[in-house]
Amino acid sequence: MRYSELMATDPDAIDAAFLDALRQHYSEEEIVELGLFIGFNLGYHTFFGTLKFYPLFSPDGRLLTQAESEKIYGPAPGSLQPSEHAK
Amino acid sequence: MIYVAPLPREAITDPEMLDLIEQSEALGVPDDLFPRIVARAAEQAKPFMRALLMSHAEGNVDHCLKEIIRILLARFAGDRYFAALRSRKAREMGLDEERIAAGCGDYEDSDLFTEAEKCALRYADQMYLDATKVDAAFYAEIKTHFTEPQIMELGAFIAFHYGMQMFMRSLGAAAPRGTP
Repeated sequence: MRYSELMATDPDAIDAAFLDALRQHYSEEEIVELGLFIGFNLGYHTFFGTLKFYPLFSPDGRLLTQAESEKIYGPAPGSLQPSEHAK
Repeated sequence: MIYVAPLPREAITDPEMLDLIEQSEALGVPDDLFPRIVARAAEQAKPFMRALLMSHAEGNVDHCLKEIIRILLARFAGDRYFAALRSRKAREMGLDEERIAAGCGDYEDSDLFTEAEKCALRYADQMYLDATKVDAAFYAEIKTHFTEPQIMELGAFIAFHYGMQMFMRSLGAAAPRGTP
């Protein structure tokens, strides 16, 4: 989780020491898999956020139109909301 | 020094992965470093490589425009590796360093770009600088220059390449020797 947050908010903090700490928990293969996944999501969530997608379903499971969904979930998609740690 | 060492070329035996590396080397973006790193995650490596190559070298948006956008994004991401690479295909199509520098600089006042190209550059520039500016008005404007399939192609290209550039930055990848 720290790797994903730092890649988005403070990539300079991802240094050799951070990678060594990551290796205490993950293999090289897993680190590359994680990094690719994080980078992919970092790029795409911002793009999707600009398209103003809203959830297809209400909290109780009803299929919604985009207009109905916007009324329930608010004007700013969740993908554009900063995380609690990034605030 | 890169934090995750690339696999030696001889350790990669999957024929499709080897073909993707050859395609990368032919295009020049990426060179063989990125695929030899992602090859460590064997299941993910091939789809990521296919997407990287296809989104850049194929499609219905001018490859030279995408190449300028790719370099602009890499500089914005602080990724020295991808920022230093150059597409041979774009070079053969006539893209030079002057036009790349103009696209990564004050492109709005440059006479080297059409209004459509400036709008595409703004799309990439604003996406990760201030995404709130990529709003309904912006999409209405970009639709005057590009079709909706082209806009999705551009948006997906921007998102994917920026993500891979941030990944390579996180590994401390340096610019290859002999690159601009």
